Amino acid sequence: MALATTRTIAILGSVVIALGVGAFLFAWSGIYNIAASEPHFAITYWLLDFGKRRAVETHSLLAPTAVLDDPNLVALGAGHFHGGCAPCHGAPGEPSNPIIQRMLPRPPDLARVAPTWTPKQLFWIAKHGLKFTGMPAWVAPEREDELWAIVAFLRALPKMDAAEYRRLAKGDAGRPSRGIRELATLGSVADALSRCHRCHETQAAPSPNRLIPKLAGQSQAYLEMSLRNYANGLRPSGIMQPMAAGLDERTLIELAKHYAEHPVIWAEAGIVQSAASNQIERGKRIASTGVPEKGVPPCLACHAGKSAATFPKLDGQHAPYIAGQLRLWRRGLRSRTVHGAIMAAIAPRLSEEQVEDVAAYFESVASTAAAPEPPPAPPLPPRRRR
Amino acid sequence: MARWYALANRIWGASAALPLAACGGGAQSALAPNGVQAERVALLFWVMTIGSGIILLAVTLVTALAICGPARWRRWLGRDGIVIGGGIVFPVITLTALLGYGFVLTSINDPPSASGEPVKIAVVGERWWWRVIYRDVAGRRIESANELRMPVGRPIEIELTSADVIHSFWAPKLAGKLDMIPGRKNVLTLTAKETGLSRGQCAEYCGGAHALMSFYVLVMTQPEFEQWLAREAGSAKAPTEPEAQQGMTLFAASGCGACHTIRGTSANGVIGPDLTHVGGRLSLGAASLPNDEAAYARWIKDNQRIKPGNLMPPYGIFSESELAALSRYLANLR
Repeated sequence: MALATTRTIAILGSVVIALGVGAFLFAWSGIYNIAASEPHFAITYWLLDFGKRRAVETHSLLAPTAVLDDPNLVALGAGHFHGGCAPCHGAPGEPSNPIIQRMLPRPPDLARVAPTWTPKQLFWIAKHGLKFTGMPAWVAPEREDELWAIVAFLRALPKMDAAEYRRLAKGDAGRPSRGIRELATLGSVADALSRCHRCHETQAAPSPNRLIPKLAGQSQAYLEMSLRNYANGLRPSGIMQPMAAGLDERTLIELAKHYAEHPVIWAEAGIVQSAASNQIERGKRIASTGVPEKGVPPCLACHAGKSAATFPKLDGQHAPYIAGQLRLWRRGLRSRTVHGAIMAAIAPRLSEEQVEDVAAYFESVASTAAAPEPPPAPPLPPRRRR
Repeated sequence: MARWYALANRIWGASAALPLAACGGGAQSALAPNGVQAERVALLFWVMTIGSGIILLAVTLVTALAICGPARWRRWLGRDGIVIGGGIVFPVITLTALLGYGFVLTSINDPPSASGEPVKIAVVGERWWWRVIYRDVAGRRIESANELRMPVGRPIEIELTSADVIHSFWAPKLAGKLDMIPGRKNVLTLTAKETGLSRGQCAEYCGGAHALMSFYVLVMTQPEFEQWLAREAGSAKAPTEPEAQQGMTLFAASGCGACHTIRGTSANGVIGPDLTHVGGRLSLGAASLPNDEAAYARWIKDNQRIKPGNLMPPYGIFSESELAALSRYLANLR
């Protein structure tokens, strides 16, 4: 009996070793064809796909959840998708490049496959990427707020037609508004600017997305500093880091200058004044006198006209953007720059309610930045509401 | 005035070289009292120490006799009367007397002395510094921080409160400790006997940088004190030197005034220490740094490393020359 058991174990062991050696010799020989020009065997494809699905399902079990009903999230996600995802995955009305189509695995059409994943699973894939597929991980994985914008966009993508996609993803840049002469003089700057315009305001249109900051009227020093902080990774963002990292020094300065000199264009008052007046009143109190007993200094000591050029102006800025940034500071995600370190000490002293109040207040204030010159043909003239 | 800076610097030097030297040297020693109240504490200490020393000696002697003395002595020591007398009656009487003496000593209410009304000073414990508020004869509020100046020979009434957690005010050369409790006012009265510089310390653990919450006490002559208080009450003088002027501009543009007040400028913050005459103080950061330009630059940039967790954000935004200008401006606010 014992002898039989020993023999069985010996035989099984030999088989395992033989299989291992065989597999190694098979790999060593180089016989297996890894050419992307040949499709996988059906069994290989099934096995890889099965493994991928199971891995994503298991690993995303503990991923967080979020409410995705803000339409601004979809538009923010679209802006990034167009530059970061569409080149490989394609987009409505814009198939990917033929080179990409020869990849194996071929980056899937997300309008088709996104509905096969849950939001948590999409979040996990966008955050971590997938090994051996060419799918990269998110540049700033700590920015979960950005990842949810991508997920929100992917949820909306299947129902999106080409026109709707163009409107969301390209904004004003989608319109052929730029003259030949301007392109010739601006060159690479115009090219970079068209990428800014996918999300940020243009000469002709105000910034409609309240998750995306208005840039017009900020100082050149602040805008340059912000772009540099994104470019060298000190200010984490999976959306802005890739944008800023590709800019050469001249383009970076020109872009900052462009927005610093950009006329401030106001959205209709109705859009902006959405907060309750008592909330604005509470926010105003925090902004002008602080919360001394909690160690919160008045915001306006730094974020007002006379302050250093590297401090951003907040008057008229979108409330959800301000609140979003304050939350990043509270979570310790904006403390690596010297300027960020200042707010990193202050923001955690604000309660969530105070964050909302102060953001609502700043959004309600008319910008004090003077528009150097009126835009050439403004559909919405600059408004003075004082 | 210069001699006090020299003395403060000597203490800095001594405490840097040999931390315990400050105890021996007496700048922060309850055994080198310079005040009526501190003398009582010291006297109580010596009475207790010498008394208990004598008792310990006697008990040791009796124990030795009880173990290896002549048989007659040992028999005598074993009697009930000796055990009850030495083991119960004697301790009860001695300890009761000591307790009574302690109560009497610490609860003496000093009668208003001939030298006039007490000087009233309010000290607020903050994490981790001291807000010090004087009142001049006209009742005007004069705010300073992290050091206590007082005239010699006059009773000083210090009103102790806290802005956050429990602190304890302790200037060992002048008086015993008294807690600063949120929502409560404690009053400490003390009278200094001689002019001179000493040091105090927060004596109740109040969070991370508790050990770096110290202060200086400077006892001055009455005319010196009045002169100093009159100057302290005034606004800051606008700088004349270009570098200091640049510092002043930077101070205003960088939002420093959100937390600090410099009277005579737009800076009117109430969160941090009043800096109107900060250059005239004996230390920076509640006696954690000497008061010189290099220390200002270090504090502005690296305060979280010097005093971890303090409420001031680290200001890494300044260039070397900007830091120098700011330091020049602040150090000259005398």
